Amino acid sequence: MKNNRISLNNVNLHYASVAYKERSLKSLMAGVFSRKAQRSNVADIHALKNITVEITSGERVGLLGHNGAGKSTFLKMVAGLYPVSSGVLNVEGQVRSLFDLSLGFEPDATGRENILYRGLLLGLSPKFMRDKAEEIVEFAGLGEFIDYPIKTYSAGMQVRLAFAISTTVGGDILLLDEVIGAGDANFMAKARERITGLIEQAEILVLATHDFSALRSICNRGLVFHHGELVFDGACDEAVAEYKVINGLK
Amino acid sequence: MLSYFTRVWDARYFWIHLSLADLRSRWRRSFLGMAWSVIQPLGLTLLLTLVFSRLFNADIVTYAPYILSGIIVWECISANTVAGSLSFVQADAYIKQCNHPLAIYTLRTVVGSSIVLMLASISLYGWVAVVLPQNFGWSWLASLTLFPILALIAWPVSTLLSYVSTRFRDIPHALGLIMQSLWFISPVYFEAKMFKNGGLHALVDYNPIYHILQLIRAPLLQGEWPTWQNYAFSIGTAVFFGALAVMVGSKVERKVIFYL
Repeated sequence: MKNNRISLNNVNLHYASVAYKERSLKSLMAGVFSRKAQRSNVADIHALKNITVEITSGERVGLLGHNGAGKSTFLKMVAGLYPVSSGVLNVEGQVRSLFDLSLGFEPDATGRENILYRGLLLGLSPKFMRDKAEEIVEFAGLGEFIDYPIKTYSAGMQVRLAFAISTTVGGDILLLDEVIGAGDANFMAKARERITGLIEQAEILVLATHDFSALRSICNRGLVFHHGELVFDGACDEAVAEYKVINGLK
Repeated sequence: MLSYFTRVWDARYFWIHLSLADLRSRWRRSFLGMAWSVIQPLGLTLLLTLVFSRLFNADIVTYAPYILSGIIVWECISANTVAGSLSFVQADAYIKQCNHPLAIYTLRTVVGSSIVLMLASISLYGWVAVVLPQNFGWSWLASLTLFPILALIAWPVSTLLSYVSTRFRDIPHALGLIMQSLWFISPVYFEAKMFKNGGLHALVDYNPIYHILQLIRAPLLQGEWPTWQNYAFSIGTAVFFGALAVMVGSKVERKVIFYL
């Protein structure tokens, strides 16, 4: 059993308001000369508030919450993309993430070439990717389209390919952001099978989704976010119930 | 800091792929393809030489390679500053998805422009070998040091500029102007002796651009070894910007993603 772990202790994350307030030198100068009262009142966004959570090997965690509750921010922080403002974040293990799936594809290159490119993006060697290519092609199940340029693919096909690549090359910690729902029913079954397979190799999955049935069947633990705060941590069914109560759903 | 460079090394397949993909798309669907990198500076040199050699009464045989060396090195410099400052903005899709060290995205520009420089310099070596064969000698080996030294300056400079430009998007526009002024006060096309005759010694003696250019000009155009001052200034510039980039980077690297 590998000792993979995600541990957060009192983690806060702010989006700096300067990022969208003073984009240019001009507006910075204007800010100096205008009176304070006239300045736009944009504050830092407190995206995650005092999150303390521990995720250990073998857990399948589902994140629930309204839009803007902090699910994606949580995932991107765990992936090491966003720096925490305060608190301690500790991630042990190789992280693989599936966020924006059309990213990193070269539209003019074929699916087969993109398997290699995306593998390189994930930090793998060309040799390793060539060995894995056939397996990925087969799993994606795109038929002859694998030799067509990516720009001819539908959104669902891109997701299938990206999913096939990112899950074939493994990694200890898999982070998924609302991508599960994009494939057709046939692929969904395969995707679920593969995710289950990954978990059996004692790896961590963190999944943000609005699809309760996917959540129930894949995950064994639910976290509910509400306006940046972690309001519930427990079994999936209870998490779904809690989510519905908080957001006023039946 | 060492771990940062280890991560850059670990991602080597990725940034090498990006550089080559840039070059591929640059030459895609053009009949001459890669040859354009050689033809373009050569054509410009012919044109400029015809005009300038008349204007300045310079010897056309030696002045033409002087201009050619200026053009190809300057093109590399401006590619790494004006275009290089947008490296992070250009790579935002990758930065938002993968936790790679940001310096690989400027390294991509550096590698790409270095390859173009090497290709373009083939015409310079060829030209000089034909018209100035008396200069050929061991000192030509020194001209090869231009490539790694220029890359070692370009990498931290473009990384620094990228940090700043991501925050202030006016910088890339301003850089066009700044680089043009720098070009104007440096012996890129104009000969160094013109500056000296005009009493502007400082623009030559303390100008790193002059010293970098001397790394390839001294051996090829004069058949001499570059002086130790040339190396001191060039390497000093690399060390200075390297230290500055590491200092700035340690503060702002993690915050760049908020500004994309």
